[in-house]
Amino acid sequence: MYEFVETESIIVLALILIIIVFVAFFPLAFIYSMLFGWAHQSSKNKKLLAREQKVAGIVGGDNIHTLSTPINLEDISKCGLVMTNITVSPSWWQLFIGGIKSIFGGQIKSYDKVLAYGRAEVMQRLREQALGEGWSEVINVRVETSMVMNKVKGGQQNKIGTLEFLAYGTGIR
Amino acid sequence: MTSNTETIPGFKITKSFGVTTGSTVRAKHIGKDILAGLKNIVGGELKAYTELLMEARTEALGRMMMDAAQRGANAVVNVRFATSSVAGGAAELFAYGTAVTVEQE
Repeated sequence: MYEFVETESIIVLALILIIIVFVAFFPLAFIYSMLFGWAHQSSKNKKLLAREQKVAGIVGGDNIHTLSTPINLEDISKCGLVMTNITVSPSWWQLFIGGIKSIFGGQIKSYDKVLAYGRAEVMQRLREQALGEGWSEVINVRVETSMVMNKVKGGQQNKIGTLEFLAYGTGIR
Repeated sequence: MTSNTETIPGFKITKSFGVTTGSTVRAKHIGKDILAGLKNIVGGELKAYTELLMEARTEALGRMMMDAAQRGANAVVNVRFATSSVAGGAAELFAYGTAVTVEQE
């Protein structure tokens, strides 16, 4: 009888602990997002800027463009598709701010930043991949945006806000 | 050879085989979904999804090129991509283009 009571109390204690962890997790994660999300994203932005300058130094300008004919190259021996992608999402804090802002309308800066970063990053990856694969120029570059991995609940999209950017073009040499 | 331009500069299209397509539907397992959800707290890139989508797109492109090769084409021009999310956590990647034979000018 005595032992039975003890195991029961342990189970109850464990359940209470699990509930506390789950209840505390979301507010804590939210505060973490508020404090460190910005730092995390701005450090990524700085790295991107450094990479952009490095590639610009190597090729002397830009090696990707949106025209369908080559600018510098005269005779072409080979061509192939070059594509890169990135998935980005706003942090919980940015989603929260964006949600409030979208009630009143107007420019939503918190989403703006994430989208601008994603697009700049995917273009930079295209430049780096073109360099890495040995293409001297990438022509006809297109950038596409799509929402992916969103759970559909009762016909309405749940706002997780995962966006995919795809950049592709034809590499020539 | 693949290209997303209408003609390949420096090459001449001799024969067209019509539209060639390739598609695939992919989903990540639930563990990766949860990890991506945690990464979501600070925002920024979700590497698991980036990799998944690139793998899937490469496969769709591969299927498209297989289809073109079976018809006897040696190049695919004017390649386009389309992405749609079909169900919770799954994405369909679709690639299409025109299968042609090309000759160097």
